[in-house]
Amino acid sequence: MQRRILHPALAFAAAALVLTGCAPGGTAGSAPASAEKPSTDLGSEEITLSLISTPESGASTKATIAAFEKEYPNVTVEYQQTNYDDYNKSVNLELNSDKAPDIALLNSVNNTVKNGLVLDLDPYAGLYDWTDKYPENQLNQWRVGENGTTLGDGPLYAAPAGFSEVGLYYNKRIAAELGITAPTTFAEFEEQLATAAAAGVLPLQLGNAEGHASFLVQSIGQSTDGAGAYADWAFGKSGSTFDTEGNRKGAEALADWAAKGWIPSDANGVNLQGAVDAFVSGKGLFLVDGNWDASKIAEGLGADAGFVPFPGDNVTAIGTSVAYAISSSTEHPNAAAAFLNFLGSPEASANQFEQGFMPLDPTAATPEEGTLQADLVSAWSKISEADGLVGFNNNASPTMNDTLTASSQELLAGRATPDEFLAAVQADWDETHGGN
Amino acid sequence: MAVTNTAPAALVREPAGAAGTARRSPATPARRSRKRRDRLAALAFIGPAFVAYGLFIAAPWAHSVWISLFEWDGIGPSTWVGLDNYVKVLTDPELVGALRNGIGLIFFYTVLPIGLGLVLAALFAAAPGRASGWLRTLLFLPQIMPLVAVGVIWRYLYSGDGPVNQVLEVFGLGAVTRAWLGDFDTAFLAVGIVGTWVTTGLCTLLLFTGMQKIDRSLYEAAQLDRCGPVRQFLHVTIPGVRAEIVVATTVTIIAALASFDVIFVTTGGGPGTATIVPGVLIYRLVFTSNQVGLACALATVLSVLIMVIVAVIGRIGKERS
Repeated sequence: MQRRILHPALAFAAAALVLTGCAPGGTAGSAPASAEKPSTDLGSEEITLSLISTPESGASTKATIAAFEKEYPNVTVEYQQTNYDDYNKSVNLELNSDKAPDIALLNSVNNTVKNGLVLDLDPYAGLYDWTDKYPENQLNQWRVGENGTTLGDGPLYAAPAGFSEVGLYYNKRIAAELGITAPTTFAEFEEQLATAAAAGVLPLQLGNAEGHASFLVQSIGQSTDGAGAYADWAFGKSGSTFDTEGNRKGAEALADWAAKGWIPSDANGVNLQGAVDAFVSGKGLFLVDGNWDASKIAEGLGADAGFVPFPGDNVTAIGTSVAYAISSSTEHPNAAAAFLNFLGSPEASANQFEQGFMPLDPTAATPEEGTLQADLVSAWSKISEADGLVGFNNNASPTMNDTLTASSQELLAGRATPDEFLAAVQADWDETHGGN
Repeated sequence: MAVTNTAPAALVREPAGAAGTARRSPATPARRSRKRRDRLAALAFIGPAFVAYGLFIAAPWAHSVWISLFEWDGIGPSTWVGLDNYVKVLTDPELVGALRNGIGLIFFYTVLPIGLGLVLAALFAAAPGRASGWLRTLLFLPQIMPLVAVGVIWRYLYSGDGPVNQVLEVFGLGAVTRAWLGDFDTAFLAVGIVGTWVTTGLCTLLLFTGMQKIDRSLYEAAQLDRCGPVRQFLHVTIPGVRAEIVVATTVTIIAALASFDVIFVTTGGGPGTATIVPGVLIYRLVFTSNQVGLACALATVLSVLIMVIVAVIGRIGKERS
């Protein structure tokens, strides 16, 4: 019985294998190009565009669609959303399918651009003057080189729709008690950590179960090295190294602070949300985090919540943009590009700010004086002015987030030296971008 | 599973048909054609389950073995790399570490629960009553909970100011409190204990059922031979539930090696790589690093490892009984 069943089963499996085709996967860049020539004129024909996004990034987009449809009455945009995790797993498959959406949120370019799933937007960047409208570092994150993995240079593949910034939150009440004001240099910052520790206050709140200590290393690193030079590594530019003056300073500081007890001893077992909750309940003078937690912190700390760009020689912030790309199989690239352009309009900027993102047009942000929002906007204009936005190191390679998480946990626990930390991170980078 | 389920149905058909034709004609050609008809009938019964098994289990499995021979990002063109992915699975320290952790979990998922289960089941069997019924239900509870929920609960229990640490503080053990899941020294132990908590109930219930079948007279005979409760347990109870032990071992070893949910939710494999297991790595390889071929190779190694272990256990169980 057993044997008789086994044979047909194998034959069956073999047949299935033949049916599913020989080598897995298709051929890259086979999508048919649309007949349309790039133009800003959408004509008067009825056009329906489909757009896919996630609830967090798409909240402002949904509001912007209404304004866009008013401006272009012959275009309808159908909005669809999926939660973040599922979205990232399925976006490439959707773009690769027969029913690909026209516009898609892009959380990272890897695999999507390499396989030719989205359009080169340079013709539209020229038509709509995007390079003049956006600071260089804000567009560069969506430029991809010919090899499909090096960023920062080459054709543009997505247009921004609201930005994030990571900086230094501080508890104004505790700061006042200690007699300190927001720091502007790294030396001053370290002195204040010592002051807090001496007074029995936790100097720096941190949760590293998901690797957010890497924000600290990067913030120290880029404010020391300068945004332009620092971004090369995250972009994967050949010959870059993680072992820079700034990153070394960051890794050493982190190990030092952990040893001194300036960060919570259980940081490796607490996630970012746990750290935010603790910070909001008054545990900790400082917290390095992004604007996405601003409303929670403002709600918890009220007037005691403050925010400044991370202190250092250069004004910088870690941050990226919500960004939309156009499917290479769309039939209406011109209409899709008009929508992408509209994402930088004053109406869209106002919607983005309302949903907690920093807008392209800072005048669209009108926060109340003296609030945390006002601090965030003031930090954002300084960063825009200094062209100091650098993408997340965590996106430097597909596995970088996992590597930064594991290595920073080892660094905090004293299981790895700063040297070993820098080497482990660079080893991951080398695997994607080639050694020197 | 599906195949073995339908096999008895086909067998049942045979005696009924034999009785029917015996009345008609015993001639050889007729019997042969009848046999062929029976075979067709058997195929018709097996068919649907067989097709489902082939389509949804055998074919995807064979396909993933096939993919494991390629380097593929899940979308674009793939490159044939032969056995390179397997070489990497067996030499890359992180992948080997994951396999080692999976094997280490067998202690917490199988050895401890069966040991505990034997003792608990013997106690329940010795002292039947309402309380033991309630206790059995309570013990079995983790088994009916989704493992993701189990993970969320334990993440809270183990957290810095969670109940585990609060209890330790009450007993004056404030010095040992820590974020159990975030500490390199305790994380593996901590997730292991969650595994024990989950599978002990299943093992206890299985073994308890087995003990109900043991012939009472064996215990009486043992008593006449002046065996105390401990020796009765060793010489009557344990041999009596050997079949149940084999089943429990098989099920829990599979749970240990293929574990994913609890670890994904509690530690995600951290801190560092202290609790990384093959399941979590396979997920990461596919969904974050787009190395689908390597992920399939690791999955194939894992499933072969499980099959070998289960076959060995089955063999041992058969030999002894």
